[in-house]
Amino acid sequence: MRIIWATRGRSWGFRFLPDGGHPDPLPVYDRAFAGTENESTVCRRVGPLLALRFPDPEGRQDQAGRVIPHDVVVEGAPADDMSSFDGGLRLVWPLIADTFERVWELPRPPSSMEAGGA
Amino acid sequence: MGRPEPRVREQHIAMFGESGSGKTVLLSSFYGAAQEQSFTAKRLFHLLADNTRQGNRLLQNYLGMKRTATVPAQNRFAATSYSFAIKLKDQGDAKSARTRPFDGLRLVWHDYPGEWFEEEPDGETESARRVETFRSLLRSDVAVVLVDGQKLVDHAGEEEKYLKSLFWGLRDGILRLEDDLLDDGEPLAEFPRIWIIALSKADLHPDLDVHGFHDLVIEKGADAVGALHEVLERMVQVPDALSLGEDFLLLSSARFTPERIEVTERVGLDLLLPVACLLPLERVVQWAERFDIPRKWLNRLADNADALAAALVGAKALGMVLQKVPRVGPLLEKLALPALAMAVKVSASKIQEINAEARANKDYLTAVMTQFRLDLDQGAEDGLLLKSRR
Repeated sequence: MRIIWATRGRSWGFRFLPDGGHPDPLPVYDRAFAGTENESTVCRRVGPLLALRFPDPEGRQDQAGRVIPHDVVVEGAPADDMSSFDGGLRLVWPLIADTFERVWELPRPPSSMEAGGA
Repeated sequence: MGRPEPRVREQHIAMFGESGSGKTVLLSSFYGAAQEQSFTAKRLFHLLADNTRQGNRLLQNYLGMKRTATVPAQNRFAATSYSFAIKLKDQGDAKSARTRPFDGLRLVWHDYPGEWFEEEPDGETESARRVETFRSLLRSDVAVVLVDGQKLVDHAGEEEKYLKSLFWGLRDGILRLEDDLLDDGEPLAEFPRIWIIALSKADLHPDLDVHGFHDLVIEKGADAVGALHEVLERMVQVPDALSLGEDFLLLSSARFTPERIEVTERVGLDLLLPVACLLPLERVVQWAERFDIPRKWLNRLADNADALAAALVGAKALGMVLQKVPRVGPLLEKLALPALAMAVKVSASKIQEINAEARANKDYLTAVMTQFRLDLDQGAEDGLLLKSRR
């Protein structure tokens, strides 16, 4: 199972953290999330991809006071675990929570070293 | 015979601002409010999104603010150009359609993720997308640089820190992409010639009028504004025809409280259409009074100047001025400074007269354009807009 995770920090803007081994993750991200720009939560399958969007479970906000969203694309997800939003969240959040805690308040976007470990 | 295609003049506006500075909120409020019955009842035109899906997304943002105090989602990895048709409520009969200089206006508003100017892209696709976006932004007619009212509050007493980071950030972002933005390394001909500095979230500064805002930016950020100006000058042909740090505007999409977003309490948004349509026209006349503009440049410095001038004072009045200008070539026939200057310098009372007459005659195009001019005058009087005095 590989994941692509896009999020933002308090003061740094949207970027991909672990990139799922893709040197260019945006096309895969676009395929998974196309047409969901205004949705605050997403859980859907697009071919072999699972797209999961959820607001930060701890309600952390960016500088402008907006709750930070997490957009995750899962490739090769076990079908049963990911059949519902809650199931997806239970599977994905533990994989990224520690990394986010470590990097979200950095003044600049995290380096790949700082973002590693998810 | 089929109905002829409407002749539409297009003006582009580029809104520059950091992430969270209110770009998407402004855009949503600009469009959403224009769909309200109370707005359309007062105006002589409808503002319609050319792309229904885009329009509905903006309206959804607006209604989310209005009804549930929800701010729009952040832009992620994608810029969008929103195209709005300004459609006259009454298109008039075939005769009036033939005699007017054009049939309608289109405003294209470029929105993008604020962090794109500040941070490095992730991968090849995002990188290419950014370059494409900035090439579009830098071909607009008017640019607006948003100074985030919240950040001014956060930096109270040391505003220079924020203003420096804002203007230097924009400067560095443009410099980083300079090679990709220029055509074969050549300075650009089509470029926003007017860069308005606007205070977003002006509702957070109830005691600040546009003059106070101007003074604050100049006192605390003149060097940083100057540094950006220097880079822009390098990128553009006829660099004398470039205004930055001369025009100022106050903007507020709504009044925000923790419980409510009061979208009816908007400031300055109604000035954006008049600014995009008329400011370039006014400015080209001001520049021509200061320095010689090669004739071939007149039309390129202010897109649609001839048509907009004709719509402002009526094609007949403009034609009378043109008759007095010696004919040098076909270009001058279409666009001549004396005619533009006449259109721009018509007094407020005369504009009011033309406006009333146009409304009575159902010449909605001239009525809309003259109303834009009256709106700009009112905006200046209300302390929301400060235009270059140079």
